[in-house]
Amino acid sequence: MNVTRFLIAASSLLLGLGLIAPTLTIYPQAGELTWLIKLFAPEELVISTYSILGVIQKLFQSNDIFLALILVLFSVFSPVIKLSFYWHATNQKDSKKFNSILKVIHYIGKFSMAEVFALALIIVVIKSFPGGSSAQLEWGAYMFTFSVISSIAVSLRLDSKKN
Amino acid sequence: MTDISDFDAPKPPAWFGAAIPLLLVLLAAGFYWFLTAENKKAGNENNSIQDIKLSGSLIAGQTYYIFASEIEVYPTNLENESWDQGEKGPDIRYRILWKGNAVFESITKDNSLIADWSGLSIELNWKDLLGKSVSSDDAIKAARIRFEEGEKIEVTVEDVDVASDDDMGRHEIEMAKLTIGKNEFKLKKNQTSAIRKITLRVLPVGSNVEDLANIMK
Repeated sequence: MNVTRFLIAASSLLLGLGLIAPTLTIYPQAGELTWLIKLFAPEELVISTYSILGVIQKLFQSNDIFLALILVLFSVFSPVIKLSFYWHATNQKDSKKFNSILKVIHYIGKFSMAEVFALALIIVVIKSFPGGSSAQLEWGAYMFTFSVISSIAVSLRLDSKKN
Repeated sequence: MTDISDFDAPKPPAWFGAAIPLLLVLLAAGFYWFLTAENKKAGNENNSIQDIKLSGSLIAGQTYYIFASEIEVYPTNLENESWDQGEKGPDIRYRILWKGNAVFESITKDNSLIADWSGLSIELNWKDLLGKSVSSDDAIKAARIRFEEGEKIEVTVEDVDVASDDDMGRHEIEMAKLTIGKNEFKLKKNQTSAIRKITLRVLPVGSNVEDLANIMK
């Protein structure tokens, strides 16, 4: 297997893990009154861990269909389609076809991965928790990040082969 | 026997390989999902063990918070007269006695036939809230009693008056009959007691605040 395909495979596996593994843990706090809230409304201070798919599910459950669809489209479909096009490009012997596929990939790439990932995290933080809370990235976030980095490496390798 | 060689066999379309990344994504996600589903199953089993500890009968050697969340008295006193002069109701206060010692005394609830206590120190000063001097442990207003086999506690109830406090009655409870959470004792009036009902709450000391709050509900 050549290096480019290996990177695409690695990126795909990391993406799969990054989508479903814990990405962000929120530790809700209520300042000086934290202990009191724990007594009277402990459900308000439950530590929550989210994956990207978990965020999407939560958005669907809270009827934020538009946001949920945006996230599905840009943080799930778009990266998967991009990786599929990368793989397809590695099969191409015809340079004309190869170049046209790269154009499509670059177009799709504009909508995917890193920026949307950041957006997803911000949405959860803003939507769900009171002030004084803290958030911690989990290993799923790093899987997703490495997937993005592998994907960028693939893109650079394919670009170097462009005529 | 076929005469088609591998070379002649129909090849999949070029885009077929494009499905490989999708399959790998699903494979990784499915693998993780499978692993965590197993862990969650084990975790749920552990949780159910924890639930048993937070309910059911008391464990010997364990210390518990015990307080009365509600005490109801009959409308007349031991002499079958009204509690207070005029139309005012009794001012109810209770004590918990353990090994002959009063280990807890409640605040007084004025003019009530049914008095209730939260078990929490909600009568806090603002300086307590703003500072860090009050812990959740301090906030629980209850007797701390260690359970041993054959142990008994006694709840005594008084009508607090300016001149002298009147005895409303007392009730002895075998701790072995108590369970974690809510315990109700319905009592008949007699010559020594005018208590109609005592609701005791029993909470294990050392549980996390979240569990305590759930038991108190």
